Amino acid sequence: METRSLGKTGHDSTVMTFGAIALNWLEQDGADQLVELVLDHGVNHFDVAPTYGDAELKLGPKLRQHREEIFLGCKTQEREYEEAKQTLEQSLTRLGVEHIDLYQIHGLEYEHELDTITDEGGALEAFREAKAEGLVDHIGLTSHGDPQLILDALDRIDDLATVMFPLNPVVVGKDDDEYDYEAVLERAAELDVGTLGIKAFAKGPWPSTDELPERDRPYANWYEPVDTPDEIQERFDFAASQGLTSVVSPGDPKLVAMVLDAADRYDGMLEEVQRSLVERLRHEQSPVPEQLHH
Amino acid sequence: MDVPETVTAALADRPVAGRVCLEAGAGVGNTTAGLLEAGASRVYAVTNDNEHANLVRERIDGTDTERTAVLEADLRTLPLASDSVGLITAHGLFNVLPPASLESIAVELTRVATPGCHLVVDDYAPLPADAAVSELFALENAATELAEGRPALTFYPAAVLCRLFVGYGWEFDREQTLLDPVPWTAGHVEAHAEVARTAASEVSGKLGEYLTAAADRLTTEIGEESVGRMYSVALRLPV
Repeated sequence: METRSLGKTGHDSTVMTFGAIALNWLEQDGADQLVELVLDHGVNHFDVAPTYGDAELKLGPKLRQHREEIFLGCKTQEREYEEAKQTLEQSLTRLGVEHIDLYQIHGLEYEHELDTITDEGGALEAFREAKAEGLVDHIGLTSHGDPQLILDALDRIDDLATVMFPLNPVVVGKDDDEYDYEAVLERAAELDVGTLGIKAFAKGPWPSTDELPERDRPYANWYEPVDTPDEIQERFDFAASQGLTSVVSPGDPKLVAMVLDAADRYDGMLEEVQRSLVERLRHEQSPVPEQLHH
Repeated sequence: MDVPETVTAALADRPVAGRVCLEAGAGVGNTTAGLLEAGASRVYAVTNDNEHANLVRERIDGTDTERTAVLEADLRTLPLASDSVGLITAHGLFNVLPPASLESIAVELTRVATPGCHLVVDDYAPLPADAAVSELFALENAATELAEGRPALTFYPAAVLCRLFVGYGWEFDREQTLLDPVPWTAGHVEAHAEVARTAASEVSGKLGEYLTAAADRLTTEIGEESVGRMYSVALRLPV
């Protein structure tokens, strides 16, 4: 599988990142098998979070067995020093590892959160301290919120090594600032910040619960994903062609094998084909940005 | 104003900034929006369709009204002075023009163009014979021929439109592919079926009913299809 330089981290990440939230929906045996499958395909970048049910615990055994092969991303939604420090320690314990390669501010949504994180006594202090102690190698940020806020964070946090944000043909087809994740991609490239793309496989928001009760949704994702091999390939090719370092796999384990195959076969996408996809989808609804109110 | 990437790509290598531009066949004003975004000093959005003219007016309302003039006019008799436009676009225009009108439109666009004017013609190449949408377009053409005596759609090869303008003194600059394949979405399919139904309603007797039923059937059968190619040809008048 193709690898790309993850900004100034010095790491070459595979063009697909394994979104380990998928492990939350599996028993331990199934989780172990899925991790082995992902590693068999050569994927070397994993991403997990304490909010993904028990994904950290289920990732633990195989992660420890293959620790040297895996660039591990984890994150916290805590915004203040003490709580951020505690969740980092908890993740290290639950994962059973000595250090995390990339520790990320998770799910940035509001300007006031950014103020808290960057102020004295904010989460960033805990991140930097952990970095000095060798518990964390690099600092990153994730958001599926307002792209302008991510741009602001890139300006205000000078040691950000990566940003994770949505990128798919639906948002590329819209010109409003609220969908302008391409501006984030451009700014990150200027700053040599690694870029991780999420929501590449989002088809749209789920129908209302009146139309489709939550229990009847066929996938665990909070948006409706594309789910055929051709669509998955098309969406992967598109996202990987935009200049992202790596495309994060969707959260339902049933989709991971298809994404692995797409990532294996990735060989670029002609511009006219990219435009064709954008043109086909540009009037569709986008599930991002959306305030999730954590 | 969302500008389709086809428009952005077609204009990317053209000197739009500071030029007086003409969008020939304004549709919903996609290219007008693209020209304004690219820094045109003035854009004349020309359409002979009142509904389209209103859509373009609504679209630019409150943003670039000072730089834009929506002209409800026939492309064969433009209300513009000779040698007055520095860049002309025809984005998805020619496929709705019957062959008989090509000459008069080429003459008129050439008249209003300044020496050194750029012309960008973006359109759809003829579809492969096995395209499902071809049957719908054939039906649409049959119905409009019967109702109005002209085809609704003609897909001209890029070389044909290019040579048409070369015949009026324009020089070929470049050709590129904008879309491959072209996405004929459910919305497009329905819109073309509706044109066929409207024309069929003017055809009396059983034939009209047959055409309407065929439009309904094809809409369901086709759903949506991605097929064919959209090209962009750029030409320039010598200085």
